[in-house]
This record gives sequence, structure tokens and C-alpha cells, in this order.
Amino acid sequence: MVEPRIGVYVCHCGLNIAGSVDVKEVAEHASHLPGVVVAREYRYVCSDPGQQMIREDIDGEQLNRVVVAACSPRMHEFTFRKTLQEAGLNPYLLEMANIREHCSWPHEKEPDLATEKAKALVTMAVAKARLVEPLQAKSVPVEKSTLVIGGGIAGISASLKLAGQGFKVYLVEREPSIGGHMAQLDKTFPTLDCSACILTPMMVDVSHNPDIELLAYSEVKGVDGYVGNFKVTVRRKPRYVDEEKCTGCGTCATKCPAKAPNEFDLGSGTRKAIYVPFPQSVPLKYTIDPEHCLYFEKGICKVCEKFCEAGAIDFAQQPTDVELSVGTIIVATGFDLFDPTLLREYGYGRFKNVIAAMELERMSDASGPTHGKIQRRSDGEPPRNVAFILCVGSREERKEGTEYCCRIGCTAALKEAFMLKNKLGDDVQVFICYTDLRAFGKGQEEFYRKVRDLGVRFIHGKPTEIHQEADGTLIFDVFDTATNMFLEVEADLLVLMTGLVPSRGTEELSRMLKIPLGQDGFFMELHPKLRPAQTAIDGVHLAGTAQGPKDITDSVSHAGNAAAAAAALMASGEQTVEPIVASVNPDLCRGCGRCEEICEYGAIQVQEVQPFRWARVLAANVNEAVCRGCGACAVACPTGAISMKHYTDRQIQAMIKAAVEA
Amino acid sequence: MKLALFLGCTIPTEQYAFEISVRETLPKLGVKLVDMKGASCCGCPLRSVNETAWLYLSARNLALAEEMKLDVLPLCNLCELSFQEVTKLLASRPDLKERINSLLEKEGLHYRGESQVKSLMGVLYDDVGLERIAQSVKRPLNGIKIAAHYGCHTLMPSEYERPDDPWNPHKLEDLIRAVGAETEDYREKLACCGALLVASAEDALAHVAWSKLKAVGDRGFDAMALVCPFCHKMFDARQEAFNLVVGREHVTLPVFYYVQLLGWAMGISEKGVGLNLNMSPTRTLLRKVRRRRKS
Repeated sequence: MVEPRIGVYVCHCGLNIAGSVDVKEVAEHASHLPGVVVAREYRYVCSDPGQQMIREDIDGEQLNRVVVAACSPRMHEFTFRKTLQEAGLNPYLLEMANIREHCSWPHEKEPDLATEKAKALVTMAVAKARLVEPLQAKSVPVEKSTLVIGGGIAGISASLKLAGQGFKVYLVEREPSIGGHMAQLDKTFPTLDCSACILTPMMVDVSHNPDIELLAYSEVKGVDGYVGNFKVTVRRKPRYVDEEKCTGCGTCATKCPAKAPNEFDLGSGTRKAIYVPFPQSVPLKYTIDPEHCLYFEKGICKVCEKFCEAGAIDFAQQPTDVELSVGTIIVATGFDLFDPTLLREYGYGRFKNVIAAMELERMSDASGPTHGKIQRRSDGEPPRNVAFILCVGSREERKEGTEYCCRIGCTAALKEAFMLKNKLGDDVQVFICYTDLRAFGKGQEEFYRKVRDLGVRFIHGKPTEIHQEADGTLIFDVFDTATNMFLEVEADLLVLMTGLVPSRGTEELSRMLKIPLGQDGFFMELHPKLRPAQTAIDGVHLAGTAQGPKDITDSVSHAGNAAAAAAALMASGEQTVEPIVASVNPDLCRGCGRCEEICEYGAIQVQEVQPFRWARVLAANVNEAVCRGCGACAVACPTGAISMKHYTDRQIQAMIKAAVEA
Repeated sequence: MKLALFLGCTIPTEQYAFEISVRETLPKLGVKLVDMKGASCCGCPLRSVNETAWLYLSARNLALAEEMKLDVLPLCNLCELSFQEVTKLLASRPDLKERINSLLEKEGLHYRGESQVKSLMGVLYDDVGLERIAQSVKRPLNGIKIAAHYGCHTLMPSEYERPDDPWNPHKLEDLIRAVGAETEDYREKLACCGALLVASAEDALAHVAWSKLKAVGDRGFDAMALVCPFCHKMFDARQEAFNLVVGREHVTLPVFYYVQLLGWAMGISEKGVGLNLNMSPTRTLLRKVRRRRKS
């Protein structure tokens, strides 16, 4: 091994470090450490002249290791690795000592101790630097295709953006049509655009785009592989209608005698057993619901088959599995609405005139169950006093609800109040009971003012209990903290603004993709501000409400971010894989498989190897593209066969020894 | 069916009518009541001051019932809830159970959690049953409309096993119909009697209780039936005091323990169900029923 020649650079970081740490003393201390040939301090080592100084020393002093004592490696490790590379040194011959976050900041008021600690940290870094070895980063090819899971507005936006750049997109949707929750809305806030008018053209674009393969009524069953090379199994559920043959004419549904509650209208209103969820469905292909079909239930009928001119009905259809090979994945699985029956004090399910906001939305929609007429459930008459309760299931301390804000309820209620005034006339009374009115997005505050001017009454308080009179009138008490008054409100329609929860299947998908969930149960992003659409797994991205509650505006922006991140990987066609990974010493490995059990990423497998022609043994094998370098396997390994590159036992022990001796 | 009868403190010291009517009525419906020798306070009033004392006292009474190999029927709603809470708590906390048992050992008692805690409404509805009650009625209360008042502890807190659905109860109303009277749902049904304000805010208590009495009267009910001694203390005995404090409309309403109505309908005398001890005008109402039956 070549004798180490180490350069140490102590950064002032303005006064961030130099304000409490005596940087001169630290550099002086470093210069006497074994192996150190040069030690300097500088105002901003990360600046251009700072980096130039390092490059010149590497050249002039023939340095073969560099220690930078500055901020957290999360901040600038990447910067200095590049500096080394530019000077012709392997980038992994760098070691950083964090004397800012770990030293000068927390010990701001005790400069002597801070200086001592900085010296100790530098001593440890130098001890490790003596032992670091060059590593070669590998790169893997990235297939130029994406799997988008979920066909709501986020999945649709991401698919169109990627297909527009020429990438192949597989869009998987578990329902018979794409469109998601946005397709259920009548109008969108704060612009009052008709939701279908802005969504359906995009849905049609999806169906016409040759680069998008739409797999509706399908679910992702398995995911294998790693960035650039994911192997995905998609289960196509049987529609009992041949998608190739069905023309979407709808004769079958007209003739079908069996009715079922329409899920698209949240159970109010009916559909046939052979159906499309809504008139603008994409693909416009009919689906038989075997739970309500007379043929599947009783073996009779088959009327649809008789009338289908295209001969598309196929009662014998079976589920089929499709294997896809993609370079990147976008998770756009959206949300579910909070179930208001869990909060019994609001009387949902018990009182007819208590409805969820999405039911009001469906009622208001021209293609909804009442063809756009707003009416009371009790008697079908238009309501005269409508009350909204916001934050139902959101911002809730009890275990039944969620802690977070749904981010759409306030403005959705404003929009619905506007619609009610519009449809039922100015004399309809609208009360909105809110916790805090959060109309924070672009144009939303202006919209709030507009709705206030319509005479909608805002009550700053949440009712605790709803009562019903014998005639169906609903009555509740509420303490209005805005006026310090106890109010009794009478309503003939009560609308619950239910919150957003992770969509069903989120946990299963998180296990399949090995991407973590946050405490709120939604998928967790890599960084809440700077990498909101990336995940802990390279090549897997998040779009829309799968990551957390969002309105349509934010979902579309987020989907754009996810598409851009996926495109960046696919455009270059290759992805560099971090070489700080686990490595197995086959002489020590006994193939017990503990590493395989503990690995959260599925990066290790015990395989049969043949070290000699006559010997077959079991040994662990690390897939370097999948390994995240977390080190769990190295800890679990009973024989010490696994070590982490760049964090070997020898290197860590040298640091500990240095720390103890210092 | 045979049950250990637990009276608690409030009933034997001031709500005699409840005890009298239960002792008269239940055996006639096949529920044999056995007194508990050595029973003490349920401990509930000590709950927020000394948790161990509360647990000890409740567990002690339950251990007595276990020794009798009987399920226990606490008449008072506070005692009943206390027993349910302690049962649930000790079942999930073996350390507490052990500690309480070490205290009980001095008396030679041991708490296992084997006796079920019953409630009067539950026994009447679920064990005796509406059919048997209807069959035993000799003087149906036809033509009068009675409001059901469940009281808070019959229904809440809902995380403990309660005798009825906390948000949509129906058993007391079904029981009222079983004795021939009419009843219907009303908006103030779940409103509180105010009894827990008695030590801290008597004025507020008067307004809470008065408002409920007034609402029941305004909605055309002839009387109120209830199951809790604390609710009864408020609604039956204090009507004049509430009228005085509120100082608006004068409100009078006959208020019964449900079991008093049941016993009377089964043919037991007014005194036999303790009606002479009620302070609201209950007997005038029953006389009306009797007159109507004769005519």
C-alpha cells in the first residue's frame, strides 16, 4: 500500500464555524497527525478558490487522501468528491469531519470545548482517511419506459408528460376507467371550471397517445429488479367483455335487467350490472360486475350477449397476468375519502339529510343521480338551510380520525356554497362551521371574499352532536369563537367535509416497491422540500395525493416533478449506482441467510456457488444496484463475512481508537 | 336467573323507591336477587383522588360476588360503570391486578374477573326480554306518552361495554312500549340531567335540568321514565327548585324509575313500587290511567 499523504482543510464557514472554534489551532493540530503533509484553514473551502486550493495541493503535494473539516457531508460531500475527481484522485479518497452541525453550532457558547471537540473529530477523520480505499462507481442501463400506477389526474398528467417526450408509458388503473376522484367532481375551485371539461380531453389524449399503453381494470401484483430494470407483473381483471371488440355503444346496458348501486355516485343512484362508471369513461369499454349479473348469480339471462352486435361479451374470460419491463416507476395511487360513519355524533347513516361532500358534488353534476338537482334525501325537495361541517375526520385528536389537514376541505366547501347559492337562489341559507379557514392557494383568498359577499355565514366552531327532529330537520349547537356566542343552527341538509386518507392497498404497494410510508400513512418522499417526488428507492417516484393530501393544482405540479425526475433518469439511458454497498467475503460466508432476512430492500440473496469444480456451497450475493448501503446486513452477519465498503470494521475501529486516545 | 344485588351508597341512603320497586318487581319476572354480605362503596367517588382506593373497592365488591358465584347487578349507573371500567383495566394490567389482590388477601378475598357486571336495563331487555314483560303486564299504560331518559352513564363512555348503542339507543323506549305506553324519539333525548354540576355550578345545573323537563313537556309527553338514581334525584325531586332558579315558565312533570312503571303495570300497588316516595306528581297521572281503563 502506498504511504498515505493526507491534506487537511479546516473551513471557517464565515463565522459559522470560526465563531466558536479556533480554526487555526485545529489546523495546527492536524498538521502533526501521522500521514498529514499539509493542513490549512480557509474562509469558505467550498468556494471556487477553496476548491482550487485543494486541487493545487493534490498536484503539488502529491496528496492521495483529503480530509475536509467543515459542514455535514449531506451538504457538501458530493461537491468535494467532484473536486478530487477533477484533480485526478478517486472521489472516495475523501473524508469529511462535521465540525459545524456536530460541533460549532451546538457548542456556540463554549468555544474552548468546541475547539477541543473539533480537534478530536479531525483526528478521527484523519485516522479513517489513512485506511480508505478507492471505489469505482458502476452505472446501470435505464430502460426508456415507465410504469405509472393510478389513473387519476396525477397519473394522467405524468403519463402525458412522459409520452410527450417520447418515453413508453404503461398506465395501470384498477377501476374500469381512468379519471380518479376528479372525474366525480362537478366543478373545481377556485376557478369554477367544469371538472369534466378540463379532465376528459386529457383522458382522451391518453387513449389516443401511441406511446401510452393503458391497462385499465388491472392491478400491480409484483415488482422486482431495480432502477433502470424493473420487472412488473400486472393482473388484468376479467371484464367479461372483449376490449378489442367492444365499441362502447351501450346497447348492452340499456337491455340489462339487473341493477346495482352506483359506486361512482357513492351508492346513491343505480347502474346496470354491465356498465361504464360514467359517460366519458376511458377506455369506453363495458364491464360486467359478476356480483350483480343474473348470469353469474343464477345462470340465467345473457341478454347483453344477445344484443351485442360486436359479439364482445365473453362470460368465460379469466384473469391474465402481463409482464412488463420498465426503467422507472411513478406511484400515483391517490387517496380515499374518510368514512364519516366512524364519527357517530354527526349522524351520517342515521339521519337521511346528513350527506358527505362528495355526494353533494355528485348531486350537483348533470350526469349524477339527480341530474344536477340539489335535493334533500328525506323528501326530494330542494333544501332551504344547508350547513357544512369542515374537518370531518381531519385535524382530529381521536384515533378514529387523522391528525393532518386535508388541504382541500375549506375551499371545496366555499365552492359548494357558491354552487348552492347559484342553483337554489340567493335566499338559500348556507352555514359553514370551520376550524380555521385555510384558503391559501392562488386565487383562493379572492374566492373566499367572493363567497362571503354572497351572504354565506361562517361559524368558527365545530358542532359536537347533531340532533334530528321528527320531521327530519337537523339541529345542532355550536359555539362560535369568532363572536363568543352559542348558536343553535337548524338545517335541512348537513354536508360533512370528509378528509383524505391513503388509498386502499397503499400498505401492500409500499411493501411491494419497498418504499416507506410516513406517519400519516401516505408514501414518504425523499426530501419534503427538495425531492418531493423521489423516494428512498432510485427510479421510483411519487405523483399527487399518494404522497399526501393535495388539491388538483398541486397534484398536477407534483406529477410534473415526478415525470421530470423519471425523464432525467431515462434520457441519459444510464444511472450511476453508489459504490458504498455491502460486500461479501465468500471464504467467511456460511450461507445462513440472516442478511437476506434483515435486508429491507431485497438486495441480498443466498445462492448456490461453485468455488471449485467439485464443491457447491451456499453464499450470500449482493445486488449492488439494489443495495442502499444501510449496513444492517453487516451487523446481522454472525461470521463477519459482510462488510460495508467505505465503512469497514477496520476503518471504524481506527476512528474509535483515535477518539478514545484524543 | 340469580344475581347478586349491589346497592351502592346513593340508593340505600336516599333513593329508597328504586330499591323497593326493584325488590318487588324483578323476582316476579324470574330474576332472583341475593344480597351481598359485606358489600361496600364501589369506590367511584375516589377515582380522581386515589386510583388504588377506587380499584381496590370496586375489585373487592366484585370479588365478593365471585365468592357467591353470581353475576352482579349494581343498580346505580355510576357503580355499574365503575365495575365495568375496573374489570377492563385489571384484565389488561396484570401488575395492577396482582397489587389489588395482595390488598384483598387480608380479608381472604381474591379477584379473578369471573363475575359478569349486569345493568338493570340490560337485564330487563336482554335477559327477561320484551315478550315476558309484555305478558306479565296486567294494567297496561295505554294512552299515555312517556319520554325515555337514558342518562349519560348508560351510554357513555362508548369504549366500555354499554347496555345500548351510545348514539342511537332504543332499549328503554322498547321497554316503555312493552308496558303499553307510547313513546317517541325526541331531540333532547340524550341531553344530560346536570347532576354532575351539583357541587360546582348549581345555577347551571338548574338551567340544564329545567330545559330538559320543559322540552319533554312541550313535546307532549305525559311523563319521563329513567334508570339512574342521579338523574332521578334531579328530575323527580328538584323541579320546584329549578323553577325558582330559572324563574320563567313553571314546569311540572311526573318522573318515574322505569321499574316503578313496570311494577305498577304488573299489578303491584303504588306503595309496592315506592310511588309514595316520588316527589313529582306521579300518582295523579296513574290515577288518570286507571280512570281511563274503567271508563
